[in-house]
Amino acid sequence: MGLLEVKDLRVTISGRKILEGVSFTFKPGTVTAVMGPSGSGKSTLLRSLNRLLELVPGARVEGQVLLDGEDVYRMNPYTVRRRIGMVFQSPNPFPHISIYDNVALAPRLHGLAKSREELDELVEWALRKAMLWDEVKDRLHRPPTELSGGQQQRLSLARAIAARPEVLLLDEPTANIDPVNTRKIEESIVSFARELGMTVVIVTHTPQQAVRISDHILFLYMGRQVEAGPTRSLALEPRTRLLAQYFKGEL
Amino acid sequence: MKGRLALDKAFTLAVIIVALAGIIPLLHLLATVAVRGGEAILRAGPGFFTELPAPPGSRRLGGAAPALAGSLVLAVMSTAIGVPLAFGAALFLYEFRGTRLARAARAFLMSLLEIPTVLVGILVYVLLVVPLHGQSLLAGSLALAIVMLPYVATYVESALRQVPQTYREAGLALGLTRAQVALRIVAGIARRGILAGLIIGLSKAIGETAPLLFTVGGARSSVNINPLRPGDAAPLLIFHYAQTPYDNWRMLAWGASLVLVAAVLLIYVVAKAFVREVRM
Repeated sequence: MGLLEVKDLRVTISGRKILEGVSFTFKPGTVTAVMGPSGSGKSTLLRSLNRLLELVPGARVEGQVLLDGEDVYRMNPYTVRRRIGMVFQSPNPFPHISIYDNVALAPRLHGLAKSREELDELVEWALRKAMLWDEVKDRLHRPPTELSGGQQQRLSLARAIAARPEVLLLDEPTANIDPVNTRKIEESIVSFARELGMTVVIVTHTPQQAVRISDHILFLYMGRQVEAGPTRSLALEPRTRLLAQYFKGEL
Repeated sequence: MKGRLALDKAFTLAVIIVALAGIIPLLHLLATVAVRGGEAILRAGPGFFTELPAPPGSRRLGGAAPALAGSLVLAVMSTAIGVPLAFGAALFLYEFRGTRLARAARAFLMSLLEIPTVLVGILVYVLLVVPLHGQSLLAGSLALAIVMLPYVATYVESALRQVPQTYREAGLALGLTRAQVALRIVAGIARRGILAGLIIGLSKAIGETAPLLFTVGGARSSVNINPLRPGDAAPLLIFHYAQTPYDNWRMLAWGASLVLVAAVLLIYVVAKAFVREVRM
């Protein structure tokens, strides 16, 4: 499960139009790359999916976001966010608790593990999925601030999937990350979709990244949905001039 | 070039002089308290902490036991009343910032900050001392709790606010409730600043004099720690004895001053040692 349908989504912030009519279906087991120049509404789209946009004063959402057919704006926001996880642009592990506790926090509060052993297993599983286990297994109880930026971002990934979400949103997760860490993060993201059947939505600025990991592309320009479709065909033959220009770095 | 270097040196010198001018009175104060208080405590011996004050004009010093015991009770009780209230107020201000209710609450706290503390004492006198037919450590604790409330609340709130928004978002994105995010994440990251707020509150509770004038009673003919009976407090003893012509009482006042300063310093050092800073 984790079918996420967006229907004619429109967002205004203090009366300013940020998104104008986005409609798209994010399918389980696939990676969708949301692309577009700065200010095209990519982050706003992501945040309206898990209702994090409600933290922004003056934000208004119209249209529908359906999770397995249920309108997320009629659900309890905490339930929505348990089912739709998120990773942010800057790595943000909680600095006051250990690496282990960062990953274990959501499972503990949501009662996902019945025993200490189960929790240990879940933490190890999440860290392995984020390709971080080997690097931190001997210092699980050290603060995450001792890790490098790339490791911290992988820890953020592990923390997010430890809550066992059905959908994972990633907001330019490799924007500040070196190539080696970027490759590991990309591998993890693809495995979340292929092996865990998660619905993955990633905002990215690099066309190459979209081609490497995504199945579908959703291209936004100035708050409007310009193009959407399978990555393979769109990357080879963009249907619109805007997307062609964007791929060539001219937008 | 030479002129600019000279100007730079002159300016540096001026800054050092101004800084010293600020620090020297403070050092002088601390040194005087240490020397004269130390002298008093040495002369009184361990009895300073266990005995009643000697009669006025006596050659003996006696001790400040009623005041020290009372101060301990006042510190514990006023913190127990004031800190949870202040922490709750701070969380409220933080979580509901920008709302009309939060602005009203902040205005109320700010005005509380402006009320002369002696009036807080009179307020508690009217509200608690008169109905209960007598001054008490409880009344003093309540007055101190009201006095510390705005300080602790403002400090704690500003500590919470300094936590970057990204951690709050990360917590909410995991499906945590606002309360869980505020208590487990934001307050956890801000623990050092929150601690500073608590220390401010505790030092207010130990050092304030005016709120106690109408509430505690200054009863020092025996040691009382019963909250419902009148008691004494170190600042009250200092306030009373420093104004008397009796040398032995004035010495007791110096001794009590040193104990107060040492207590606040000790709390500060111990708390700092135990609560590590969160590196971000």
